[in-house]
Amino acid sequence: MQIHFEQAGASFEGRVAVEPLTLSLTERRIGIIGLNGSGKTTFARMINGLVKPTQGRVTVDGFDSASDGETVRAKVGFIFQNPQNQIILPILHEDIALGLKNRRLPRHAVDAAVDGILRRFGIERLSGRRVHELSGGELQLAALASVLVTEPEVVILDEPTNQLDLRNRALVEKTVHGLDEMAIVISHDLDLIRDFDRVLLFHEGRLAADDAPSQVIARYRELAA
Amino acid sequence: MNTLYVTGNSLLHRLSARAKLIALAATGIALIVLASPLLLGISTLAALALYASVGIGWRQSWLRLRPVFVTIFVVAIFALLVNSPEEAAVTLLRLTTLVLLAAAVTATTGIGEFVDEITLAARPLERLGLVRASDIGLAVGLVIRFVPEVLGRYQAIRDAHEARGLKARPLTLAVPLIILTLKNADDIAAAIDARGIRGHKPARRSKER
Amino acid sequence: MTTRDLVLAALFAAIIVVLGLLPPIPVGFIPVPIHAQSLGVMLAGVVLGAKRGTVAVLIFLLLAAIGLPVLSGGRGGLGVFMAPPAGYLVGFVFAAFVTGWISERVIKREQSGLGQIASFFVAAVIGGILVDHLIGVLWLAYGPTNLGLANAFLGTLAFVPGDIVKAVVAALAGRAVMVGYPLLPARA
Repeated sequence: MQIHFEQAGASFEGRVAVEPLTLSLTERRIGIIGLNGSGKTTFARMINGLVKPTQGRVTVDGFDSASDGETVRAKVGFIFQNPQNQIILPILHEDIALGLKNRRLPRHAVDAAVDGILRRFGIERLSGRRVHELSGGELQLAALASVLVTEPEVVILDEPTNQLDLRNRALVEKTVHGLDEMAIVISHDLDLIRDFDRVLLFHEGRLAADDAPSQVIARYRELAA
Repeated sequence: MNTLYVTGNSLLHRLSARAKLIALAATGIALIVLASPLLLGISTLAALALYASVGIGWRQSWLRLRPVFVTIFVVAIFALLVNSPEEAAVTLLRLTTLVLLAAAVTATTGIGEFVDEITLAARPLERLGLVRASDIGLAVGLVIRFVPEVLGRYQAIRDAHEARGLKARPLTLAVPLIILTLKNADDIAAAIDARGIRGHKPARRSKER
Repeated sequence: MTTRDLVLAALFAAIIVVLGLLPPIPVGFIPVPIHAQSLGVMLAGVVLGAKRGTVAVLIFLLLAAIGLPVLSGGRGGLGVFMAPPAGYLVGFVFAAFVTGWISERVIKREQSGLGQIASFFVAAVIGGILVDHLIGVLWLAYGPTNLGLANAFLGTLAFVPGDIVKAVVAALAGRAVMVGYPLLPARA
């Protein structure tokens, strides 16, 4: 799996959100950090074509994320900041099955896939529950399950431990560390990314550092001070 | 949200949604043509028997049918005052029959069955490029999913009024409710597109941003 | 229809459902308390415009038809579409469309606040009151109720004062939402 940015940048209504940059992402665990409004989320959304670059191009395994968005989004799963808005059907197993609908799988294959993914995250007991009754940690795991059921090769997580209590935070951290898939994690939770393979730091729309976690975190502390 | 479906195994439960809907439409047309109080009275009794066969129970039936019957009685009394007693009786019997039959269909057909039937019915329109049939089920699911959250938001806004000593007015409740709810549309739409749920032709969102 | 449009319509349908769950609000000088649900229909037009507003109302009525108790007072099912006031219910679709259609064309960004409110009010009166009552009356007069045009017209008048109050609220809310989170598609 190779994600490639080629002089890719994005601006909205004349305001630069991400300045053009060139880089390749191949590591298994990549963290993205930076202050609020630094361009982290826009950068992440450019990977799967939810934000199309206004200049340059972004490719995932050679597929252009702007013109071939559908293929790219099948390879790149995205877990949004607010899992509340990601789960769109009222009952959890219905929602998870929804992502598989376009595959035209037989009913029992869908059911098996849904059961499997729920078991993988240890939330099979939530299968028939109403989504609006789930707790924050349960919702985060449910969102993860709803995305991973379609077997993407990479997942992007936008602040997965945001607004979670200490126990749920530990649970989500453990889950993220245990993922078989390549993971790109946007986070303010520096503990989460401390032993990642690579960390990118964004500052005012620019890539300010790109290195091993300890160096990048140190630089982040300087910038934030 | 609870639905008006009632579990059971009556004749109506076993009939397909399509058969029931076609029969209901046909009976509706027949009843509008029919103007004899005697025949209408017989059909009302038949409808009552059919409704009773579903097994909804007295209390539940009373709760469900009362609001509709109130409007029927008001209209019948109005018809009695301005038209003839015979016309009033025709109105009363005709509406009662229709409402009983429709309520029986509703009580014996699950939401999923309806959605499947409507999706199927929308396929020809899909070929004309008017709708995407699968969007219908998605939209129904979205509303059921988000009603509890909109309600929670409404309660939070009302509490905020109270905490600040403000009187809750329709305007000051509706405006924040609409803005706070619709602001989530971008996120939800992004999630639907990211998960590839609507299938082909990803929406042209970025152009609109 | 983009995914965003579909989601906006569905969320608005949820708002209309919630408005129906609220107890009717008594307004001082009017005998009948006001149900917020038909206010929601006017709001769909003024906030979302013709297309998305109409779809929002269609989704809402579809939920009612398939047996969800989403209409004010916990009503739902096919029975309500046979009952005497069914015309007003079906009229909601056209009401939202006309309200939205007019809103898109008369409201301008550069208008004064008062001008915008007045324009929204006109849109809500024509769409939400005239169109909805027209369809409601036609159903009462010639549908299974068969009340005759004159009688049906007389019956509908009782609800006009309350609906005018709603049109005022819809106009004020339409303008406030447009300032806070503009969604109305602008037309020349």
